[in-house]
Amino acid sequence: MKKLFVIIAAGLVTTSSLVAQDKYFTKSGRINFMSKATLENIDANHKSVTCVLDTKTGNMQFAVLMKGFEFEKALMQEHFNENYVESHKYPKAEFRGQVVNNPEINYTKEGIYPAKVKGTLTIHGETREVETTGNVVVKSGKLQAAAEFTILLSDYKIEIPKVVKDNISNTVRITIDCSLEPLKG
Amino acid sequence: MKKKRIVLGFFVVAIIGGAWFGYSEYNRKVRDLANVRAQVTMQANELIAAFEQNEVTANAKYLDKIIAVKGIVKKVEEDERGYISFILGDEGSMSSVRCSMDSVHVKDIVHVKDGADVTIKGACTGFNADELLGSDVILNRCVIED
Repeated sequence: MKKLFVIIAAGLVTTSSLVAQDKYFTKSGRINFMSKATLENIDANHKSVTCVLDTKTGNMQFAVLMKGFEFEKALMQEHFNENYVESHKYPKAEFRGQVVNNPEINYTKEGIYPAKVKGTLTIHGETREVETTGNVVVKSGKLQAAAEFTILLSDYKIEIPKVVKDNISNTVRITIDCSLEPLKG
Repeated sequence: MKKKRIVLGFFVVAIIGGAWFGYSEYNRKVRDLANVRAQVTMQANELIAAFEQNEVTANAKYLDKIIAVKGIVKKVEEDERGYISFILGDEGSMSSVRCSMDSVHVKDIVHVKDGADVTIKGACTGFNADELLGSDVILNRCVIED
């Protein structure tokens, strides 16, 4: 009886540790966005992006606080928050999606794997489908997830004031770089 | 004649002044919080509780504010690029105040270790509610208060 209990307990411990290792996360992921225009480039960085990846299902989720984007110029940062993304009204951006080719990635074997990601991106209260191909690097028990894609500001109802319409691009390139650690249950 | 000159002089000064203002405004950098007085001073627990109770009202109250938060450093996190975050809050709780430290002032914080009792000043960028990972109030461009 005692032996059985030990076996069950041991079984529980192993399964729970296995379950825990399915999920990887970070709270200090990076996102850069860059918009090239004739007058000047708009470039901002975020260092506190939350990302969770469930390696079993391929489910992936990002949460970004809009006020956390850092610009070199204060005026740009203020305009971005107040006039463009209206971060007081829409403080968060979110991505929920899936690694489409998840079965092709061996998360237990070191290497570089291409990852096709598909899902919905919500910015400025507007949700749109996005799709991109990135990389997952499996190395020393961690995952490095990187991707790049472009969005159109008009898709998210982010208006460019008429006066500067010719100087600001409607296309924004978003670069994601996250180092994910196993989530310990 | 004299009047004309005065008027002309006035316009020249106004244009130069305007151009100077425009130029400096355009190139203005985001302020170093070491030189900015905190608008609110509170305990880490209080700030977390405010966001957990009602995120909307807490956002209205604290978003973009310069907050000095007192608390215990649960963990000092350093990412692969050397950026440091202080995680403030109760050891037993999943919820924290995450302070992304200003890399310009990294020299002032190297001595801070886990368990230290500190006051951190930063710009509040919001709240990430997460049952799995634990919820966080995020402060950005943080510096340590003496």
